[in-house]
Amino acid sequence: MNSSEIAQEQSSGWNKFVEFINKLGFNPLGLSLLIIIAALPASIPYFRQEYIVRWMIMGAFLAAQSIAFDFTSGYINVVNFGFAALLGVGAYASGIFSNVTPFIAVAPGLNPWISIWLGAIVAGIVGFALGILTLRLRGIFAAVMAWFLGIALMGLVNNWTALTRGPLGMNPRKFLETTDNLPYFYIIFTMMIGIYITLKLVTRSHYGLAFKAIGQNLDAARASGINPIRYLVFNFTLSAFFAGFLGGFYAHYFGSLTPSTLMHTSKTVEILAIAYIGGRGSLWGGIAVAFPFVFLIELLRTNFSDLPGLHLVIYGVLMIIIMIYYPGGLAGFYNWIKSKVQKK
Amino acid sequence: MAKYLGARPLLSRIKDNLPIIIISVFAIFLFVAIYIKGGNAQIFNTIITGGLWALLAVGLALVFGVMNIPHFAHGESFMIGAYVAYFTFTPMQEYLYEKPNEFLSMIAPLGAILTAGIAGAILGILIEKMIFSPLRRRTKKDWIMNAFLLTVGLSFVLSNGANLVLGPNFRGISRYWDVDAVEIGGAYMSVDRLVAFAISMVTIGALWFFLRRTRVGRAIRAVSQDETGAQLVGINLNFIQTLTFSLATAMASISGASLLFLFQAYPTVGGTPLYYAWYVVMMAGLGNVVGAIIGGFIVAMLQTATQLFVAVSWTTVLPTVVMILVLLIAPSGIFGSEVKGVQEQ
Repeated sequence: MNSSEIAQEQSSGWNKFVEFINKLGFNPLGLSLLIIIAALPASIPYFRQEYIVRWMIMGAFLAAQSIAFDFTSGYINVVNFGFAALLGVGAYASGIFSNVTPFIAVAPGLNPWISIWLGAIVAGIVGFALGILTLRLRGIFAAVMAWFLGIALMGLVNNWTALTRGPLGMNPRKFLETTDNLPYFYIIFTMMIGIYITLKLVTRSHYGLAFKAIGQNLDAARASGINPIRYLVFNFTLSAFFAGFLGGFYAHYFGSLTPSTLMHTSKTVEILAIAYIGGRGSLWGGIAVAFPFVFLIELLRTNFSDLPGLHLVIYGVLMIIIMIYYPGGLAGFYNWIKSKVQKK
Repeated sequence: MAKYLGARPLLSRIKDNLPIIIISVFAIFLFVAIYIKGGNAQIFNTIITGGLWALLAVGLALVFGVMNIPHFAHGESFMIGAYVAYFTFTPMQEYLYEKPNEFLSMIAPLGAILTAGIAGAILGILIEKMIFSPLRRRTKKDWIMNAFLLTVGLSFVLSNGANLVLGPNFRGISRYWDVDAVEIGGAYMSVDRLVAFAISMVTIGALWFFLRRTRVGRAIRAVSQDETGAQLVGINLNFIQTLTFSLATAMASISGASLLFLFQAYPTVGGTPLYYAWYVVMMAGLGNVVGAIIGGFIVAMLQTATQLFVAVSWTTVLPTVVMILVLLIAPSGIFGSEVKGVQEQ
């Protein structure tokens, strides 16, 4: 065996590896960046500080939400304006199922690791209902309907004090006994990767094609034999399921839930901004944007603490600029560069 | 409604207008229920609230009808109106406190409200020129959705910008006119409320006259019916769109200003009015200006009925359920949407 054969062997092994990770929705650059992010808190002392780890958790949390959000908005082109409310439903359901305190009417006291799935299923059922309700509505009507439903859900959580304690807030159990944040970072990071791979696999299948067809032109999709009911409802249910799942993480990580900090429309807008700046219909754009954003925002917050809400203004301005001048977002920019490189 | 004028069987006409009939019966039922439980006072309350929702919703309907923009930052126009009225009215009030003048203290609140309206109009022109005009030049496909997301970003910028500049403090006044409440039919109404209602009715009436009887108003309606056709007959599209947007913003600002005694000015004050305005517009049909006026009163009735029969804190939940039912029966609102482009999305 001479050296060129060995090189060929190695390169074919490399090709196989690239093919494999491609199937899961990664490319080598993205995967290595993810590995670096995952390794940062464990290896570099600066990133091991508790508050930095908390920022990383926030980044992964926002990124995972934007993936689940983009699954609806980027593919079937319906902006789910009640996304934060669905997340809140999952969080509250998980919190209630796991709670043992006598405050709450229902107290089965399940393990948080089990109740998080129940919370996700409850959110999925609500998402299923939302999908059914918005079936006959298009575009903006569906978005506003989701918004109304979100507001109604928030009102319900606020008023159903026997279960949720309303605006007083409830305190679900935490996942772990430790006060260390690092394990939580790996939990949410795994959840983020899991959600990404699942949704990427779904969108790579014929479902993804059907979603795109419905998003571009519902009548044409129907004419070419796609049953929109099935796909729309499936999309909403899956997106809501993951929203509820992430809500469960929120509940058992922060250990405190109030309707206004969790389910308010402004929370949806934050996710929406991240997903659109990242690039609609890409799923990964949110991950690429969320981590640098969280750092930028937290640094702004600590350095300009006399200017509350500056980061939200920056969100808004960036979103306006992206919407006007670059609707493709970061993912669109990346694809443009890639096509330029491949041409040469 | 010309298509219903022909001699058609009664049954088929009833079937075509089913949503309208159902909602009318429902509205009459609500009206009677409110009257029995709350008496005159609650009826007046409902009418006044309805007028204000109608004023907000008309602006929303106009913007959607003419420009095809689902305006999510309408509540922020309301907020800015409230702030402008506060910052113009309080100095005047202090001045009048030192040198009392009966005539001036009658006029001062109206001046503050008018200033808010003018500020709103200017803001509307700025927003249209700076944001929607570039977007219109760049986006053709998915216009409604992109415009919607843009207004979401705009609302975020405006409300958080207000928080940044002015802080989260509540800025309000107890009342505009320092006079006793007026008795109407056994119910006491404060002058502020009556004037706020009068302002909203006068503004809607003026808009109605403007749209129906003036040349520019007709041009606005022409654009809402057919953009290309309007351009062909020589209507300046840019001018009409800027004018419409600034009118809508001014109307929201006026209602924010005239309601300062009820909604204190703070950065996120626009949330509730925005919600109810959207609620009205969705119920009546997007872009339908007349429907928005009727819808305003229906929504106000729903609100009052919920407050009377259930509890104040349920006012966001129960009307939403009704709303969802309405949209299930009539997916484009009770009075239908005359706007093209809604269903194309």
